[in-house]
Amino acid sequence: MRLALVLMLVAAPLAAQNGGGPAGRLAGRVPPAALAAIDSLIAAAVAESLPSEPLVQKALEGSAKGVPTDRLVNGVRRSLLQLREARVIVGRAMPDQPAPEAHVAAVSAALARGLSPAIVERLLTVAPNEPPGPVLHAAADLVAHRFNPDSATDLLVEAHNKGLHGMRLLDVAVAADHELQRAGGRTHADALARVRALLPNVPTAEVPPPVTRRRTKGS
Amino acid sequence: MMAMSPIDPRLQEALDGERDPGTLPLDLREAYARLMGAANLLQTLPAISVAARVMADIHDLKPERIRPARRLMRWLARPRAVTLRLRPAWTLALAAGLAAILVISTQPTNNPIPGPHQGVAHFVGRFPGARSVEVVGSFNDWSRGSLHLRDENHDGIWHGAAVLPAGPHEYMFVVDGERWVPDPLAGRYVDDGFGAGRENSLLIVRPAQASLDDDATLR
Repeated sequence: MRLALVLMLVAAPLAAQNGGGPAGRLAGRVPPAALAAIDSLIAAAVAESLPSEPLVQKALEGSAKGVPTDRLVNGVRRSLLQLREARVIVGRAMPDQPAPEAHVAAVSAALARGLSPAIVERLLTVAPNEPPGPVLHAAADLVAHRFNPDSATDLLVEAHNKGLHGMRLLDVAVAADHELQRAGGRTHADALARVRALLPNVPTAEVPPPVTRRRTKGS
Repeated sequence: MMAMSPIDPRLQEALDGERDPGTLPLDLREAYARLMGAANLLQTLPAISVAARVMADIHDLKPERIRPARRLMRWLARPRAVTLRLRPAWTLALAAGLAAILVISTQPTNNPIPGPHQGVAHFVGRFPGARSVEVVGSFNDWSRGSLHLRDENHDGIWHGAAVLPAGPHEYMFVVDGERWVPDPLAGRYVDDGFGAGRENSLLIVRPAQASLDDDATLR
């Protein structure tokens, strides 16, 4: 019972994301002192055909956390700058077509996770017409676990060339991390080499099953 | 039941042939005459009985050949009088049963099935002594009060689950309504961009029904 309520409450804001405009979603949530500045940043994103949802999310996040007004506005502005940088990168990787908003948002998120523009551009170029989120997150995962960025990118490009796409590229990063954690003092390079030898047959990550739980009092 | 008026014994004796009707008083003589007339009328049969005439008419009718399907349709379409006799005890029991079935059938299932572009996210955190733990993130517009974790055993391990759209979601735990804490088990973190060095946890929800098409949801 409670789980269903949770799902309903989670679903409601998601529906609101699609239905309400940015101004409506920010009203009452963002401090009035920051609202005008944030509105103008969002308007700038819309005028430049950049995705505005990351800015709305950043404003809601900062407001929920009680971030002071100046830092809140700066956080949203920083996101806008990251989106602009992302669009330049997408434009370079896909010169013959307008940058899709989803690509721009995914690249912006990858930059926020610490991937270098050069790595991002290279990964985009490998499969420009595929959703870039999975491969970018896989690369960011490997870099976060201190794998050499270029070697990690090489591995992901090879995995893609051997037929792995989408979520399966995340499995490559997971497999490399597992190899690193095996007993025997394996180095990062060794771990990447082991995974490369497995390609394209890296283990598939387990998808969490549907929620099953005991009915408890009050639930 | 209607009460019958007692018949005069002298009239009864006359009707039984035990008394000469001529000895009856005038009013009883009139009554005797009426009763005898009625008795004679009942003993006289019609020349052709009503039953015989009805049966003759029925035999004169040519039997109409009706297909079984048409007969069935007629039977279904013909209005019929239904007499429903209810005992209050059984009626109340039946109503209670129907209400129970209705309530059970509208109860949310304990096994929510994610849609094609959704997956199940499990959240677990160890917060001994906490009075409440909730998850706040991009999937619920960073709004409080929509996804509470539970500690049913009071062992300090708080857990919960939600069906979320496939793809990346930033989130944090909020402990006791005021303390924002990254998920120590998330494995992925990203700077929140507000300049205080705080990081959000990052969750990548895999679609429960994994396929290459589903990867398009993860951008």
